[in-house]
Amino acid sequence: MSDDRVAVSEAVTEILRNHSAPEDVRRTESQGWNEELWSILASAGFTLVSVPEVAGGSGGDIASAYAVIEAAGHFAAAVPVAETSVLGGWALAAAGLELPAGPTTVGTGAPKDDLWLQQRPSGWRLSGRLHRVPWARQAERLVLLVAYEDGHRVVSLPTSGLDIRPGTNLAGESRDDVVLDDVPADTNAPAPSEVNLTQLRLRGALARAASTAGALVRMSELTTRYTGERHQFGRPIARFQAVQRHVVRIAERAQTTAIAVECAAGNACPNPDFFDAASAKIVASRAATVAAAAAHQAHGAIGMTKEYELGQLSRRAWSWRDEFGSETRWSLELGQHLASDPDSFWPRISLGRHESAPHTGRTAPTQA
Amino acid sequence: MHFSATILRPDELALRDEVRAFLAAELPGDRLPGLGMANDHDPDFSRKLAGRGWVGMAVPSEYGGHSRSAVDRFIVTEELLAAGAPISAHFVADRQTAPTLLSFGTEEQKREFLPRISAGECWFSLGMSEPDAGSDLASVRTSARKVEGGWCVTGTKVWTSGAHLNHYFAVLCRTSPLDGDRHEGLSQLIVDLSTAGVKVSPIPYLNGHHSFNEVVLEDVFVPDSMVLGDVGSGWKQVTSELAYERSGPDRFLSAFTLVQAFVAERAAGRLADDAARVVGQVAADFWAIRQLSLSVARTLDAGGAPAVESALVKDIGTRFEQSVVELVRSVADTEVGPDAGSVFEQLLAEAVLTSPTFTLRGGTTEVLRSIAAKGLTR
Repeated sequence: MSDDRVAVSEAVTEILRNHSAPEDVRRTESQGWNEELWSILASAGFTLVSVPEVAGGSGGDIASAYAVIEAAGHFAAAVPVAETSVLGGWALAAAGLELPAGPTTVGTGAPKDDLWLQQRPSGWRLSGRLHRVPWARQAERLVLLVAYEDGHRVVSLPTSGLDIRPGTNLAGESRDDVVLDDVPADTNAPAPSEVNLTQLRLRGALARAASTAGALVRMSELTTRYTGERHQFGRPIARFQAVQRHVVRIAERAQTTAIAVECAAGNACPNPDFFDAASAKIVASRAATVAAAAAHQAHGAIGMTKEYELGQLSRRAWSWRDEFGSETRWSLELGQHLASDPDSFWPRISLGRHESAPHTGRTAPTQA
Repeated sequence: MHFSATILRPDELALRDEVRAFLAAELPGDRLPGLGMANDHDPDFSRKLAGRGWVGMAVPSEYGGHSRSAVDRFIVTEELLAAGAPISAHFVADRQTAPTLLSFGTEEQKREFLPRISAGECWFSLGMSEPDAGSDLASVRTSARKVEGGWCVTGTKVWTSGAHLNHYFAVLCRTSPLDGDRHEGLSQLIVDLSTAGVKVSPIPYLNGHHSFNEVVLEDVFVPDSMVLGDVGSGWKQVTSELAYERSGPDRFLSAFTLVQAFVAERAAGRLADDAARVVGQVAADFWAIRQLSLSVARTLDAGGAPAVESALVKDIGTRFEQSVVELVRSVADTEVGPDAGSVFEQLLAEAVLTSPTFTLRGGTTEVLRSIAAKGLTR
């Protein structure tokens, strides 16, 4: 990580350690989010990293934004940092629209989402249905990318007054449906070319991968500690090879996910590349499954309690692996993309972490 | 424990371009590529590679090598493996014996062997496993008794890859009787495989290939000058030796040519969905695991000793490359036979038959896991 990212990561970790400890996570789950933590993060500028300062953001590079998201994942923090910074904030700033004081969220671009924008004499109107919008209930603005005529527009809706149908993921994080019935949508602007659904999905997928990396590293620490302290048959259970298998498995998955995210986020210049972000999400989603299973197996029954920290991490990992595209969806897309140019297969895989101008490899496929 | 995604410098990228150009020129387009480390013994190719300065890269130039970094070595090695190049003649000598000689060898041994290893012309096997000593390497029974001017070695080594082709092997043996700590009293002796008393017999693989050998030593004389390092330092040397071979690109690229061939042959038009998913999934893993391995190389160059990282990467890499074979087979929709068909189908047959070795050689998964677990809980 660069010095900036290290500094950002350390600073935000300090806040999270104090305001998103396991008991805070437990306490705020029933409230839907950790509002106190959000206020502290927002006033310290950590919720708008990578959004340009001229637009009202905190500036900084996108890798630093993903470092914040990863740290939040490590502490199971129930706050819409990803949605506000690399998703909603990004789209609003790029389109020249105003940033709210509070959180933003976005339509995720899921295939089931349905939107229809019209310009009428009375103004712009939007209808449709959005599924599982992250943090819709907590956000101040809902940002949408909508097809209009030959292009797309960025639409910014106030959430107050919207028909929001509450839902949650397995960790109690809001994933709400939003029904739009001819809603006024005058705050909108043409979307610049790089603000498109492909890029939104990639940013979202990388965000969930980053959150997962944080959670898996914490899961690894927790399991290593627990198996070292828990004594059965007269010795720490970490001495049994069958248990060592689990401990090693979690560490492997956590480290692989972390380096994949570090690479994809570091390469984003400033936008995540398709191969990088898709790969990071595939790695993260698969790692979540293996690591969570191993962690629960190593912990025994105590890992299944609400009281113990593990469930806060595993429920998130189980949720995030499917959000913004599961490994199944992304591996299909990535595989077809690579198959379209077999000669680039090895050069692309071996590209790795690079400076802003890639030495070789291709750019993202252009698809809406 | 620390991993970090490393950026290759312009000179490192330039090296990679050079190697790619060399391979494009030297390897015929229609040849059957190897599968990672297990590829053809080709003295000519080894010599050509050495002529470009790509053997003995880690050996200092004063010993005939090229004083290159671990990352440079990584870059060359991964290109060779991704191309399935015929590197098996010099690979072990270059990758393992040379570093051991550098760390522990006498000055005379360094001057004797390193230039020839760096020229791609001196090949080594590893004399470690025995019928009763595999994972438990410290229990080796091959022993050497002191005689005038040297040692007299008796014992049997097995699974000695390449002993029928190579010049020397480094034999782990007991030079002092067992007395308490069995890690004490072990030494490594460099034995010329053509010496009187050395009998090499093939142990064919289940697919008929000749790689493994049994090497029986009967009163083989080894001069004092051929004790590698110090008498009694065998265990220390061998455990550091195993660390070197732990986490390079040869530990995750063994099935790469198989996937490459699958994509090249099947992709005309469009892959079926299940095949595309497999290609996408394994590509993501190749990309991520490669960075873990490269991170270790970078750490080594910075003077670090990434013991846990190495064990972790080898476990991750070898289990991954083994799984790749089955993943590809599951979407290949073909019956596997050794002689039939395309490059892909031949590679698939070879890969299915040999993939069990990926998680056995140089330390089994089970042993690696114990090492990694110990390191994680420290």
